[in-house]
Amino acid sequence: MYLLRLAMASLANRRFTAFLTAFAIALSVCLLLAVERVRTEARTSFASTISGTDLIVGARSGSINLLLYSVFRIGNATNNIRWDSFEHFANDKQVKWAIPISLGDSHRGYRVMGTNESYFEHYQFGRQQHLELAEGRAFASDPFEVVLGAEVADALKYKLGDQLVLSHGVAVISLVKHDDKPFTVVGILKRTGTPVDRTLHISLGGMEAIHIDWHNGMPARGNERISADQARNMDLTPTAITAFMLGLNSKIATFSVQREINEFRGEPMLAILPGVALQELWGLMGTAEQALFVISLFVVLTGLIGMLTAILTSLNERRREMAILRSVGARPWHVASLLILEAFALALAGAVSGLALLYIGIALAQGYVQSSYGLYLPLSLPSAYEWKLLAGILLAALLMGIVPAWRAYRQSLADGLSIRL
Amino acid sequence: MRRLLLLLALIASPSLWAAETRLLTWEEMVPPDAPKVAPVMTPLHDLSKLSDTLAVESSPAAHQLAPDAPMVKALDGQQVRLPGYIVPLEVSEEGRVTEFLLVPYFGACIHVPPPPPNQIVHVTSELGVKVDELYQPYWIEGPMKVKTSSSELATAGYEMEADKILVYELPDS
Repeated sequence: MYLLRLAMASLANRRFTAFLTAFAIALSVCLLLAVERVRTEARTSFASTISGTDLIVGARSGSINLLLYSVFRIGNATNNIRWDSFEHFANDKQVKWAIPISLGDSHRGYRVMGTNESYFEHYQFGRQQHLELAEGRAFASDPFEVVLGAEVADALKYKLGDQLVLSHGVAVISLVKHDDKPFTVVGILKRTGTPVDRTLHISLGGMEAIHIDWHNGMPARGNERISADQARNMDLTPTAITAFMLGLNSKIATFSVQREINEFRGEPMLAILPGVALQELWGLMGTAEQALFVISLFVVLTGLIGMLTAILTSLNERRREMAILRSVGARPWHVASLLILEAFALALAGAVSGLALLYIGIALAQGYVQSSYGLYLPLSLPSAYEWKLLAGILLAALLMGIVPAWRAYRQSLADGLSIRL
Repeated sequence: MRRLLLLLALIASPSLWAAETRLLTWEEMVPPDAPKVAPVMTPLHDLSKLSDTLAVESSPAAHQLAPDAPMVKALDGQQVRLPGYIVPLEVSEEGRVTEFLLVPYFGACIHVPPPPPNQIVHVTSELGVKVDELYQPYWIEGPMKVKTSSSELATAGYEMEADKILVYELPDS
């Protein structure tokens, strides 16, 4: 115990260097833990976004691409598919339910999704949880009604009955707006922790209505414009949608329905199993994750070597200290363990403040990360794996402490009480 | 990991499971008296048969060749062990696959039709299995349930609630 007190007192004497060394370790520990936490949370949030859906169908592209744009609202669709293709498969006898999805517009950076009632009824996330409304109702027959995700309502401070204008395209600051056809907020969904929170849901009819007077890729001008009231009385059956999700009567039939869609003669389409696409995505992300992990491990190693250097360089100027210790009865192994304790104390201080930095960082960045990346970082206690990483760092510090300890041991044996500098 | 090793050790001693668990092969899941399905020979790309290809293009899409494939009813209720590849359906928050289809070969081979219902097992597992590579085969052990098709809506198929899921390794020999 007195050894520990001595080590602390000695460190306190060199507090500025000690502080910098511990700070370097803290930063590296914080980086390592942050990489680990973002990695696990990203996986969790991806895995919990979709559940219970057997097939996702879209225009022919890659399976990961289709999964990303249809479920996670990342990237864009390569092409639309025809409405009658959707109807063909929605009425297939193997299909239990079908959710059409129409994407492409946005509202202040949040994506707008056109769909129908079956979305609220059949879409599942997490462990087969259904969507629930926090307030209001789902959109009904009027095309200009919108149901907000929890995040959208929170961030933009919308409440039931508010009017909002959708913009064309997916830019955050949009120059082309559908301002002649405002939408009314009729419902707000409960928070799900998935991209649903960041989506505005309108009916397919609404999606059709805001584009009904567009010609040649631009809105109509002058008296060619169709007002919202006129649009209400028109046929708003969509001609095309972006993708659709299918639930099947029997999981065993998944492959045959998938094959049937992929070989559909009407138009080229791609059907994917979300679970398989997710696995492929993780395989892809795995490489980047590993690279990040290895880099942060090396940063920790650099921090520890910095500590080692600081202790080693201080050894020479501390010969007098050691001599005094020897003069009051310390044995060489006392001197050695003093230095190991010092290294351990520095690493411990670094690890603890690194953990503190991580939590401060998470607390500060939580809101921003969730709104811009849809990633929820909880302020939870370190996981078993994170504890193991911390223990590993402390162990490495102990092992590194042996180097200066050995040198000090040799020196104090040779020097004894008289120092020949 | 340790639990897995323990399980492996348990299974390595044959006397423990040989008594009640039947080692099943995929061929045994097709009844021996099952009618032969006539193969459809359409080459994928053969320009000399362009007109045939166009005729196929205009005809309705090919269905699963034998949607009402016969099942071996005797397997119902039996404790079986079967090797196969995992096609994930449900992934839990921890990244474990809790519901999947077990198939005899990896990857959706696009040259032949998808496997018939009697070559797919729909497996659920409470604990789930961490799948790192899709092309890693696994041993699945559990009680087999055989569902025969009674109506048009319910497809026949094998179902299982897995007791044990183990990595399949090549026997050392």
